[in-house]
Amino acid sequence: MERLAIALLDSSNAMLVLMLVSLGLAIVFGLMNVINMAHGEFLMLGAYALLSLTGWGLPFWLAFALAPVIVAGIGLIAEELVIRRTYARLLDTILATWGLSLVLRQGLVLTYGPGSFAVPVPDAGTITLAGSPYPVYRLIVMAISLVTIAATFFVFFRTRFGLAARAVIANRDMASCLGIDTRRLDRITFAFGTGLAGLAGAAMAPLISIDPGAGVGWLVPAFLSILIGGLGSLSGPLAGGAAVGAVDSLTSAVASPVFAQLVVLIAAILVIRVFPNGLVSRRRREA
Amino acid sequence: MARLGSQHLLALAALALFLVLPLLVADWVAGDFAIYFAYALFAVSLAFAWGHVGLLSLGHAVYFGIGAYAMSVVTLGMVPGLPHLQSTWVGFAAALLASGGAAWLLGWFFFANRGLKGAFFGIVTLALAFVFERLAINSSFLGGLNGLMSVPPINLGLNGGGLEIYDPIPLYYLMLGVLALVLAGMMAVTASRFGISLSALRENELRALTLGHDVRRLKMRAFALSGAIAGLAGALFVTQFGFASPSLIGFSLSADVLIWVALGGRHALIAAALGAIAVRFLESRLSSALGASWPMAVGLFFILSVIFFPNGLFGELIVRLDRWRR
Repeated sequence: MERLAIALLDSSNAMLVLMLVSLGLAIVFGLMNVINMAHGEFLMLGAYALLSLTGWGLPFWLAFALAPVIVAGIGLIAEELVIRRTYARLLDTILATWGLSLVLRQGLVLTYGPGSFAVPVPDAGTITLAGSPYPVYRLIVMAISLVTIAATFFVFFRTRFGLAARAVIANRDMASCLGIDTRRLDRITFAFGTGLAGLAGAAMAPLISIDPGAGVGWLVPAFLSILIGGLGSLSGPLAGGAAVGAVDSLTSAVASPVFAQLVVLIAAILVIRVFPNGLVSRRRREA
Repeated sequence: MARLGSQHLLALAALALFLVLPLLVADWVAGDFAIYFAYALFAVSLAFAWGHVGLLSLGHAVYFGIGAYAMSVVTLGMVPGLPHLQSTWVGFAAALLASGGAAWLLGWFFFANRGLKGAFFGIVTLALAFVFERLAINSSFLGGLNGLMSVPPINLGLNGGGLEIYDPIPLYYLMLGVLALVLAGMMAVTASRFGISLSALRENELRALTLGHDVRRLKMRAFALSGAIAGLAGALFVTQFGFASPSLIGFSLSADVLIWVALGGRHALIAAALGAIAVRFLESRLSSALGASWPMAVGLFFILSVIFFPNGLFGELIVRLDRWRR
């Protein structure tokens, strides 16, 4: 019973963080039609930013607040230098961001060395849940993910910026004709998407081993989430992230992480075969 | 008289260069080139799937790795129930069948219904590479993280025991011969009726479908063919390298081959092959001088080439040559 409660809590943690990562990926894809293969590296940049900032003596929570901003800044630069030059060629954006991921990863190797680091878990104490102690930090991470997801929805459905962004997602040319500055929107969107990745990376930094190659381990599940959930809406990647995160973490709790990855991939391929448009957007198409 | 295409001219020039190369360089350099030829064959398989059929496979090392492991398992006498089987020939057959069969089976899943397209196909193949690498690491039969060591070289005997091809120069010419033959064969395939149907579906799948092509079958066959060639490359590689490890099946080699093909040029098979050889050669020359900056330089160069030379360097050469000869 206790083990079940812990497993469920860890699973929710994995689900919420994966939802956050998938959301960033999906926003960039939906709005800019850019498949960001470097998303995992932006996540690791968030973790490394936290590592450096706390290393320089900044308090953990201040570093935590700064890390996503730094990552978003790097995202902005990358957009300006690389991404915008391949907008017209959808498949080439994969290559460009793939190259970007190589450069970022190697940049991390050159700066921090190839070894792995750990950030100490901030002392937030433990709480007794269902008769067993559970670190409060993990609960805080879940809360941050939830709040960020809610805030993203608020921005997209309750602000002028969100209205413009949704207009661009629906029909880019029409939105541009109506006077929406799509160029500016692209820049903000890419920074926002990479910032979400940076936030997830900073949040997970104390819970994972930080090494330059770890980004791919996030990229693949995030993409599978988008594939399963379906594109074209914000709720699709959330549903997919929840599904992938749940299957992955519960299977690795019962069996082994390797087995879990295999199960997730096979399940994803089967879902994609049966629902080619994803679980969420399928319902909409029939309506 | 039919004029030779520019890519054929480039292929012939490269062949002439590589035929005389061992006379100009030290034997060990020729031995290195024999390994680059295996990589070049791998690049050809990806260029066929990606450039000719439009299937961007981000995890192509899966088929290379399956070929390498199949070859190793057979020649090390590890096939369950057949402890005396050590034939290189059976190894090649197993590598071709296993990798081609795996690609065919995966294609059956990928191309069902409306099929995975473009980026999504790429992501799923990438995830597969990730999983296959983990499986290889966790398989004690395949030697786990250490892989399978001391894989024997190519042996011309029916079941081992015959002439071993081990010296750099014979190996060099053998590899060059295989590469040239497969490349010529694949160029013929791309120019055949089958190949033209494939480029039709790359350009516009819906149009190819409405003109009566069985798009799904075509893609499955093409992907299986590409997988089999990647497997052959893996088998040839492992007989020279002597060592099959999980890194052959996974993510980083998949990334490498993508870069070779993109830098060389994905629209012409010969350009992709030359891209692989050129990058590997430069890497062997420069990586000791540049150290950890080398992957960084490759990455930057790759981004620049994607932005400014979408055809790749050798591909651009072919395009220029075409324009000049017209």
